[in-house]
Amino acid sequence: MKKIVLLTALSISALFAQVKESVEVPYIPFEIKMGKGFDAVQADCLMCHSFGYILNQGPQSRKFWRGKVDKMIEEFKAPIDKKDAKIIEDYLFENYGNGKEQ
Amino acid sequence: MKRRDFFKTSIAASAAVLGTTSLAAGETHQPNETRQVSKYAFPEKRPLITYSDRPPLLETPLSVFTQEFTPNDQFFVRWHLPDIPTHIDPDTYTIHINGFVKKELKISIQELKTDFEQVEVNAVVQCGGNSRSAFTPIPGGIQWGSGAMGCAKWKGVRLKDILDKAGLLEGAKWIGFNGREKAAYFKTPNFVREIEIDELDDHVIIAYEMNGEDLPYLNGYPLRLVLPGYYSDSWVKMLSNITVTDKYKSLFFMDKAYRVPDNECECETPENLAKKTKPITIMNVKSVIGYPENGAKIYHNSQVVVRGVAWDGGYGINKVLISLDDGKTWEEAELKEDLGRYSYRAFLFGFKPKKYGKLNIMAKAVNSLGEEQPLSKDIGWNRGGYKYNGIHVVNVEVV
Ligand code: HEC
Repeated sequence: MKKIVLLTALSISALFAQVKESVEVPYIPFEIKMGKGFDAVQADCLMCHSFGYILNQGPQSRKFWRGKVDKMIEEFKAPIDKKDAKIIEDYLFENYGNGKEQ
Repeated sequence: MKRRDFFKTSIAASAAVLGTTSLAAGETHQPNETRQVSKYAFPEKRPLITYSDRPPLLETPLSVFTQEFTPNDQFFVRWHLPDIPTHIDPDTYTIHINGFVKKELKISIQELKTDFEQVEVNAVVQCGGNSRSAFTPIPGGIQWGSGAMGCAKWKGVRLKDILDKAGLLEGAKWIGFNGREKAAYFKTPNFVREIEIDELDDHVIIAYEMNGEDLPYLNGYPLRLVLPGYYSDSWVKMLSNITVTDKYKSLFFMDKAYRVPDNECECETPENLAKKTKPITIMNVKSVIGYPENGAKIYHNSQVVVRGVAWDGGYGINKVLISLDDGKTWEEAELKEDLGRYSYRAFLFGFKPKKYGKLNIMAKAVNSLGEEQPLSKDIGWNRGGYKYNGIHVVNVEVV
């Protein structure tokens, strides 16, 4: 590692005038399929992250999607009840499934 | 880094013809390189490959990796939790050092820049899940291509100097790093990292500058931890707290995420998951080709220069080998200037394509320990999809 001379000049960066104010992160309209159970997905799956997380996984098995919903509840403490969890699993498998149960 | 077995198999297998399209289930392949940049630009960034806006997840296109330093406006972005402050006042921002210390400290950015020795380090920061899309079946997490990484010149203050000023108490063993990123729900575990004090060396710094500019907001403004050689999960952004403890605290993001099987190949199968796991820590040897890109057309008998970058966890890159005949023979690429053992090493390789039709260009880095990249298919699966470092194969067409 290279040692460098002590900086005395204040680096007042024009870039960060904006962080001093407030940064705006763009809103991205992820195209997610409408379908049976979507209301539950919208109510329960947007609290902690965008739909991008779901879409990015690609078509997956029912077991995969059930596992994801369980992970959200167990590891990340998502407040989702059993009934909704099943509705969401069905929605995900129906719309983003690969046809395989396992 | 236990790559010895791979090392053997990769040589034995290198004579085999590469099948990058017809994949048996479960075989590791080339990561997904088909994704395009989005039409939305995030603050201070050019449009990048975008997986999520909340929290922001942005990937750098491969074509950027032909140079040692990754421009700030193209540098990848990876946050875990959605609640990231959008307003930071650098005049009042402080970082707290507490716990097992003689004197608790609150240091402002101005004090960091004037009261401590200022140092610089060139270092690669790479997500442990970089290239995750190479694994089948898909492991949990974002299906990154190979651009969840970048290399920058970081400037800041040694963590050691800060800890010295606070003074460690007898029994101090672990350091927890906490950033300002917060979960949206109060019960969700926050993203805190813990590092054993023995692991720290002089290269670990608290950085406020990246490539000669203030840290970009999305890369952790105003301060982030820089841990050269380590995967980025521990490079805590918007660093606000450093807490020294005598005991390891059990935390989700430490105990469950960013771990690989604790066995020789660091691999397992979905049916038979390894019981023991370990943190991903130090990066393995890897390289990518930035030019040409997959699917490119290059002219017959023209002067083509292949460019890319190679790196590892800090042992240093010894050579990069290029193959134009599906791994039957390898030739050394030219390495550019060595900018430090944690930095990208840029390479280039010139040739004239003599045969029309499809051509695979392969790049394989070798580090100073003799560790080299395996072929994708020789990399075993792990549930988190971590540490992929397969030989990069770019398919082009000679026309
Ligand atoms: C209480 C917060 C919370 C809720 C509610 C939540 N998630 Fe998550 N989710 C997370 C966190 C935290 C991650 C990991 C984030 C990271 O590492 O970037 C995650 C990651 C994911 C991933 C990526 C794959 C993985 O294994 O990390 C998927 C897919 C996902 N969530 C789907 C869902 C679905 C479907 C729902 C609705 C049932 C949901 N999430 C609701 C917190 C939540």
